[in-house]
Amino acid sequence: MLALFTQPIDAARMIAVPKIDWLAIGPPVVLFTAALAIVLLASLLRGRSLQHDLDDWVVLCAFAGPIEFWLGRFSAIRYNHDVFSIIVMLAGIGSVAFAMGVSIVRKHTFAASLVIALAGVISAVAITVAQWNVVRTSGSFTSMAGAVAVDGMAVFVMGVVLVATVFGLLLGTSWIRREQLEGPEFLALLLLCATGMLVMASANDLIVVFVALEVFSIALYVMTAFDRHRIESQEAGLKYFLLGAFSSAIFLYGVALTYGATGSTNLVTIRESLTGLVGGDNGLLMVGFALMLVGLGFKVAAAPFHMWTPDVYQGAPTPVTAFMAGATKVAAFGALLRIFVGSFDLLQTDWRPAVYGLAIVSMIVGSVAAIVQTDVKRMLAYSSIAHAGYVLIGVQVATESNGGLGGTSAALFYLGIYMLMAVGAFAVIQVVGRARETDSSLDDYKGLARKEPVLAGLLTLFLLAQAGVPLTAGFVAKLTVFKAAVDAGQFQIALIGMLSATVAAFVYLRIVLSMYSGDEHGSATPVEGNRLTVDLPVRITISLTAALVLLFGVVPGWLLDVAEHATSILAG
Amino acid sequence: MNDYLPLVGMIALVIVFVLASFVASILLGPRNPNSAKQAAYECGIVPESEPAERFPVKFFLVAMSFIVLDVEIVFLYPFAMVMRGLGVFGLVAITIFVLVLLIPFAYLLSVGALAWGPVAQVIREIVPVRRTSVAVLDPALTEGTTGQAA
Repeated sequence: MLALFTQPIDAARMIAVPKIDWLAIGPPVVLFTAALAIVLLASLLRGRSLQHDLDDWVVLCAFAGPIEFWLGRFSAIRYNHDVFSIIVMLAGIGSVAFAMGVSIVRKHTFAASLVIALAGVISAVAITVAQWNVVRTSGSFTSMAGAVAVDGMAVFVMGVVLVATVFGLLLGTSWIRREQLEGPEFLALLLLCATGMLVMASANDLIVVFVALEVFSIALYVMTAFDRHRIESQEAGLKYFLLGAFSSAIFLYGVALTYGATGSTNLVTIRESLTGLVGGDNGLLMVGFALMLVGLGFKVAAAPFHMWTPDVYQGAPTPVTAFMAGATKVAAFGALLRIFVGSFDLLQTDWRPAVYGLAIVSMIVGSVAAIVQTDVKRMLAYSSIAHAGYVLIGVQVATESNGGLGGTSAALFYLGIYMLMAVGAFAVIQVVGRARETDSSLDDYKGLARKEPVLAGLLTLFLLAQAGVPLTAGFVAKLTVFKAAVDAGQFQIALIGMLSATVAAFVYLRIVLSMYSGDEHGSATPVEGNRLTVDLPVRITISLTAALVLLFGVVPGWLLDVAEHATSILAG
Repeated sequence: MNDYLPLVGMIALVIVFVLASFVASILLGPRNPNSAKQAAYECGIVPESEPAERFPVKFFLVAMSFIVLDVEIVFLYPFAMVMRGLGVFGLVAITIFVLVLLIPFAYLLSVGALAWGPVAQVIREIVPVRRTSVAVLDPALTEGTTGQAA
C-alpha cells in the first residue's frame, strides 16, 4: 500500500512539496490538535453505542492475552516458548492496564479533557516563547508562502490570547460544574476559538485574516449560546451570530475591493503596490479599507458598531464573556494594527481621521451609556466599548514616528492589561451570579462587602483598575495611551479620553458603592445567608489576575518593555 | 477583454433563447385551459392540504454533516489525480485532513446525531436516558414518550 506512494516515478511528474515551517504555525496547530483530541476522547468515552463497543473490545483484549498464554502452554503446537510467552504476557498486562485506564478516564472524562486542554495551551505558550526568542535575536520573518508573519506583535498578541485561554478554561471548568452541562465540548470549542485567534495574530494575508476571523467567530457563537438552561444565552447567541455574519461579510467585501484595487491579498505585496497609488484618487481602495475597518470595528466592539455588545455580553455565559472581552478584542486589534498600521500606513491621511472618530465615539458612548444601566454585566459591556476607544487612540497615533513609547506598543500594552482586568472582574461576577446566573443586577450586589469581604474587595480592585486609579495596572495603561497621543501633538483626543474616563469612573464607583453600602437584608436580595461558593479554578483565576493587576500597576516596566519590543509589524 | 467575448455571447444567447421559447409557446400553443392544467404541478396527485411547515431539526443535522463529508470528497478527487506526484508528503497531508473530518464524524455518531428512526428506538431501550445534547434535540428521549422519532 505504502509502496504506491513511495515508489519512484519519473521526475517530470513529481510535484514540489511545500516546506512546513512548524515553528511559525506551531501554536495554532498545537491548540487545534488538543481540541481534536478532546473531541475524540469525548466521542469514544462518552458516546452511546460506541461506548458499549469499546467495553467489549477492552474486555476482549484484557482476556485475550492470558487465554492465549495458557493455550500456548498446553497446546500441542510447540513454538518458541520463552519469547512468545513474554510477548503474550506483556500484551495481557498492557490490555488490563489499558482497560483500567479507560475506565478511570471514562469516570473523569472532563478532568482528562481539561488536562489535554491545559497541556495544549502550555505547549503553545512554550512555542510562542521560542518564537519570541527567534524574533528578538534574528528579526521577524514570514513563512508559508508569505501568508504567516512571525513578528513581535504577532507573538505578543498570541501570548495575551493564550493567557486569556488559560483563564477561560479555568472559569469554564467551574461554570460547567455548577451548571451541570456537557464539559468536553465547551473546552474543545474554547480551544478552537483560541486557534482562530492565534492564526489571526500572525495572519499576513487578508484571506488568512478572514478565515481566522470565521474560525474564532463561529466557535464564539456556539459558546455564547452554550447555556441551554437560560433563554437569554440562546438569544444572545442568535443575535451575535446574525450580526457577526453580517460584519464578516462586510469585511470580506472590503477584502475583495482591496484586492481589486491592489491586485493582491498579501499584506506585504499590498503595501508595495500602495507606493504607486498614494496621492491618487482611488475610490475602490478607500471603500475597500473602509469596509474592512467596519468589519474589524464590529469585532473589537467599537462604537458605532457596538450594538450587539451589551446584549451578547449580558446573555453569554460569564466565562465566555470574560474570554470574549479579553481575547477577542486582542486578536481583532492585532489584525486591525497589522492591516492599517502595518500595510496601509502610506494611506494614513485617509484612514486616521476615521479611526480618530471611532475612538472618540467609542469612549463617549461606552462611558455615558453605562451610567444608565442597572445590570453589572451590561455595565461592563459598555465599559468594554469605552476601553476599545482608548485602544483606538493608540492605533491612530501608531504611524507617528517620534520618540518615546509609540502608539502600537501603547495599544498592545493596554490590550494586555485590559484582558487581566476584564477576566478578573467577570470571574467575580461569575461567582456572584450563582447558579443559572440569576444575580447580576446592581441590587444583587448590595451588601456584598459585608457578606463576602474578600470577593467584594477584589472586584473593587478590578473596577478601580478599569477606572484607571493609580497603583493599578489600568492607570499605567491609560497613561501610556494618552502619552502616545500627547507625544503626537493630539491634545484634544487625550482630553476627551480623560473626560470620558472620569465619566466611566462614576459607573465603576456606582458598583463599588452598591457593594459597600446597601443592606444585606434589603428587599432585593433573594439569597440571604447562604455563602457564595468559590471553587479552586475561580480562586486561581481571581488571585492571579488580581496579583498581576497590582504588580503591573506598581512595576509596569517589564511588560512595557515587552510591548515596546513587540512593535515590529511585517517582515518586509 | 477579448477573452470574455464568448462569455458575453453566451449570456446573450441564453436570454434570446429563453425569450424566444416564451414567445413561441404563446404564439404557437393551442389554448384550452382546465383546472388540472392550471395547477402548479400538472402530474401527480392533487394535494389535499398545505404541506407541514415544521421540519424536524434532524434534517438539518444530517444536511450539515453531509456538507462536511461532501467537501472532503471535493478535496479527495484532486488528491487522487496527483497522488503519486506528491509522494509521502501528500499521503500524510491527506491522512491528517481525513482524520480532522473523521473525528467530528465519530463525535456525531457518539452523541447519536445520526441515530433516528428505528435505531433511536433501540438505543433508547438499551441506553439509560441522560441529559445530553441529543436529549435536548429529541424530547422523546427525556420525556420517555415513544413512537415520536419513528
